Amino acid sequence: MPKIEAPEKIFFSLLGKKMTDDELIDIFPVAKAELDGHDVEGHVLKIELNDTNRPDLWSPAGVARALKCYESSEIPQYDFFSTKDDEKPSDGRCVIDDESAIGIRDYSIGFAAKDCKVDNDMLINLIQSQEKLCFNFGRKRKTIAMGIYRSDLIKYPVHYAAVDPDTTKFVPLGMTEELSLREILMKHPKGRDYGYIVSSFPRFPYLYDDNGDTLSFPPVINSARIGAVEVGDSDLFIELSGPILDDLLLAASILACDMSDMGFEILPVKVKFAKDTPYGREITVPYYFQKDVHASTELISKKLGLELSAEDSVRALERMGVKAWKDGDGVTIHVPEYRNDFLHAVDIAEDVMIGHGLQNFEPVMPSDFTIGRLSPVEEFSRKVKEILVGLGFQEMMYNYLGSKKEYIDNMHVSGDNAVFIANPMSENYEVIRPSVLPCLLESESVSGHAVYPHNIFEIGKITVRDDSDNSGTVTKDSLGFFASDAKIGYNEAASYINTLMYFLRKEYTLQEVKDDPRFIPGRAAEIVVDGKVAGIFGETHPQVLESWGCSMPSIMAEIDLGTLI
Amino acid sequence: MDIDVKNLHPLEVRLLRHVSAGEDITPERIIRDLDYKVGQSNQAFSWLSAKGLVEEKSRSHRISYELTDFGRTEQLEGLPAERIFAFITENGPHTLPEIAEALSLEKSDVGSAFGLLSSKGSAKMNDEKKAEPVSSELPEDVKLQRALLNKASGTGSIDETELSETEKKAIAALAKKRGAQNSAFRIVERDEIIYNLTPEGEKAKKALLEANITGEEFGILTPEMIQTGSWKNGTFRPYGINAPTSRLIPGRRNAYSSYLQWVKDKLIALGFEEFDGPLVENEFWNGDALFMPQFHSARDIHDVYYVKDPVHCKKIDEPWLSQVAATHENGWNTGSRGWGYTFDHEFTRRQVLRSQGTVLSAHQLTKAHIPGKYFGVVRCFRYDQVDATHGADFYQTEGIVLGEDVNLRNLLGLLKMFAEEIAGAEEVKYVPGYFPFTEPSIEVHIKHPVLGWFELGGSGIFRPEVTKALGIDVPVLAWGLGIDRMALMHLGLNDLRELFTPDIESVRTRRGN
Repeated sequence: MPKIEAPEKIFFSLLGKKMTDDELIDIFPVAKAELDGHDVEGHVLKIELNDTNRPDLWSPAGVARALKCYESSEIPQYDFFSTKDDEKPSDGRCVIDDESAIGIRDYSIGFAAKDCKVDNDMLINLIQSQEKLCFNFGRKRKTIAMGIYRSDLIKYPVHYAAVDPDTTKFVPLGMTEELSLREILMKHPKGRDYGYIVSSFPRFPYLYDDNGDTLSFPPVINSARIGAVEVGDSDLFIELSGPILDDLLLAASILACDMSDMGFEILPVKVKFAKDTPYGREITVPYYFQKDVHASTELISKKLGLELSAEDSVRALERMGVKAWKDGDGVTIHVPEYRNDFLHAVDIAEDVMIGHGLQNFEPVMPSDFTIGRLSPVEEFSRKVKEILVGLGFQEMMYNYLGSKKEYIDNMHVSGDNAVFIANPMSENYEVIRPSVLPCLLESESVSGHAVYPHNIFEIGKITVRDDSDNSGTVTKDSLGFFASDAKIGYNEAASYINTLMYFLRKEYTLQEVKDDPRFIPGRAAEIVVDGKVAGIFGETHPQVLESWGCSMPSIMAEIDLGTLI
Repeated sequence: MDIDVKNLHPLEVRLLRHVSAGEDITPERIIRDLDYKVGQSNQAFSWLSAKGLVEEKSRSHRISYELTDFGRTEQLEGLPAERIFAFITENGPHTLPEIAEALSLEKSDVGSAFGLLSSKGSAKMNDEKKAEPVSSELPEDVKLQRALLNKASGTGSIDETELSETEKKAIAALAKKRGAQNSAFRIVERDEIIYNLTPEGEKAKKALLEANITGEEFGILTPEMIQTGSWKNGTFRPYGINAPTSRLIPGRRNAYSSYLQWVKDKLIALGFEEFDGPLVENEFWNGDALFMPQFHSARDIHDVYYVKDPVHCKKIDEPWLSQVAATHENGWNTGSRGWGYTFDHEFTRRQVLRSQGTVLSAHQLTKAHIPGKYFGVVRCFRYDQVDATHGADFYQTEGIVLGEDVNLRNLLGLLKMFAEEIAGAEEVKYVPGYFPFTEPSIEVHIKHPVLGWFELGGSGIFRPEVTKALGIDVPVLAWGLGIDRMALMHLGLNDLRELFTPDIESVRTRRGN
């Protein structure tokens, strides 16, 4: 979940009033936000945003906009958006995408802003918006990278192309010497962080103005001159690059609305693409690309369980900042410029729900009659647990992930049947347990201080390889039990098995175990039920005990409950 | 302090009955008169003192010298100096090795004993390096030692008070506190205590006499007593009902597992049927079927555990695969515009460890009855650093409700029921939430009598992109409850790792609230 920091001054000025923490806590849910903290001394509110599909809310301006709207029902108006049919004047500002970038990082788009002096808070705020959009929404710059530049130093048109990484050089932000694009990947901290996105291509994305002055090496780093925005600047150029056009357009729209709310005048920029797009070869950014969405009154009422008229829905949607009108059997909405999360009519229903006020929906129990029922495994497991508890065993519960050392090496088994994780976080959690027995032995190894005898068991899942299954693996419900004491052996184990099977009403026979390194040879048996091996038990081999650092003799057993149910 | 004399031990009873107010009571007397062992006497005095029935009148530190076995032998056979002196007096001069040989003494003992004799002028080494007597008298020191040995031989010990200053010095040379096996005396220090009966003790004695409790009552009832009827000839000693108990180690359910069972039983009672499934899943069920776009940030390699081998499952069942793929691409016939990207048919077969319980809800949709209510308490795996609030694997409690007319208000009703029945909530608050697979989405916060306000769970109505693609045409309420937090509270723990502890002692003693 994205978390943002909102300087009080900016946030309350955008909101148009001051609010107490309690008031914020009360109203934040309408933006799916939570007050995560309040740095009273630093005058900063910490806000967590729960909707990962609403990047427009990941800035103080976005949250303030949603709250202000909810209280006033006044839908913000932004007059700088172009559409296919209504192109705003770009006054010579232009970005030209070159076809050399196609397949590498297809698009670069931009817009400009002026007439608002950038102060320190605002600069921090802009950088935060840039980071949230590029990191969370833009998948760590993979799909969206953004640069902010000093517009007054740029000679339009701006050119975007993929260039030779070894001959193209400029002074990157934060450094004083000229480096080639390839050198930046190695020498600049941002190069090391984000270089992997482009490093496998023969040519790297590059942004420069009509004088040939560098703007940036997207998605890695700005230039030290045009790309160094400072406090006091008032003319900015914002550029976004990436492979998915709609995401870029949305991010540009969000940032343009935020900057407009903060007092900038937004200046459109014409973008000439190097390939066909759903919106043509040429558009003017910020660009409104969303389509109207319709929801029937019936769908809304049925979903929410409350009869709401089209007028009710329109009113609720207005509080959410969504322009809507009665249309046919329901309502149609004009999707706000900064949102792109209306995939289905149900998305309208949710906005109606929030706008109408969740407190206005009275809870009602579902009226359908259904029969409650445990799973067969759970029901059977409970019988088994009752018997083992009666036999004096303590039920244990274990994690299912562990190390190769514990699950395989310490057991002296090959581990051929174990299912490993391809991307373990640490070798402590690299394999799913193929048996309950190592878990029981781990207990024994850490419980020398516990009074003997130790009688423990677990019923839980294990996973082993099985080529006959679609997944090549099978998850089994397994019973494992273990007992250790100064005097214990095969006979005790056999008695436990006999008692358990008697009360489970299972006829069984025993067959000799050959070559199982976990047990003492000649002191282990397989349990056969209905001609199938259901489990194994016997005296723990001292080599296993030694590997686990245990010094008490023990017996252990494991039964696949699936074979008994 | 009011004493119930029935709780007194026979050792206490007999002591109390034996003594009278105002007289001196000493352990020696009790041991002698009542035939107590030293330990029994100590116990009786210690218990009675603790109860305030007897009190110390005086306590004096006493030192005595007990004759050791070694000392007894020396007393009978003679000290080395005595024996050497007698030997050379009777048999004429001999070398020290000859003397040692003849008397079966250690050479070192002979050396030091002769040293004593010669320094005190009773013997000397002549020119032939042989020891010979000089006087007919043993040195005073040796005579003194002999006198002490003789004195002690009667009772086996000498009290320090019986000794003169000279004797004290002499005995010090023969005595040791510990490791006295090669010394003649062992020094024994002890406190000699004289007790008196307290007024409470007098009352207790009186009560014992009145109740006719003698301390001779029956202890354990034996089979023989029942068979012979001998129990009829006496009374039973009442036991102290508050005596400390011994520890038993029963066979027991795991407290966390019992809690989960309780939750399951609650859900069964509310009409839910349990589902279950394998730990290894694939991207299709783990994410695609839940309408999470394949490029979603929660589906990165850093959020899910991938299976090393086999990397992919063999196939995804139809028609689910085609329907879900089409829904992602263009919405299929779900009424959605879809995510607008090209569905990756290889990625979807990639195998992962189940990362969320909702996966099994999605599976259940393909085989659900309408109306239907289903739930699972299922193990999930998430790519997270293990710490107090994140386990390598953990349980999620999830479920769904299918019905022709189920809606948001039913969802709120359901959450209210969970909050009250399972969490014991005092107040319930709903706020809009976000999950990729539900719309609308609701979080339920509850005010718990102990924990205060916290988020009990997340829920929503499955998106049509989820349900229709899996063949369900009715609304489906989906919910998940964060019961781990309540489980921790129930078990008095504050670290999630503790729920799966391998420590036997910790599990044995754990109990729910």
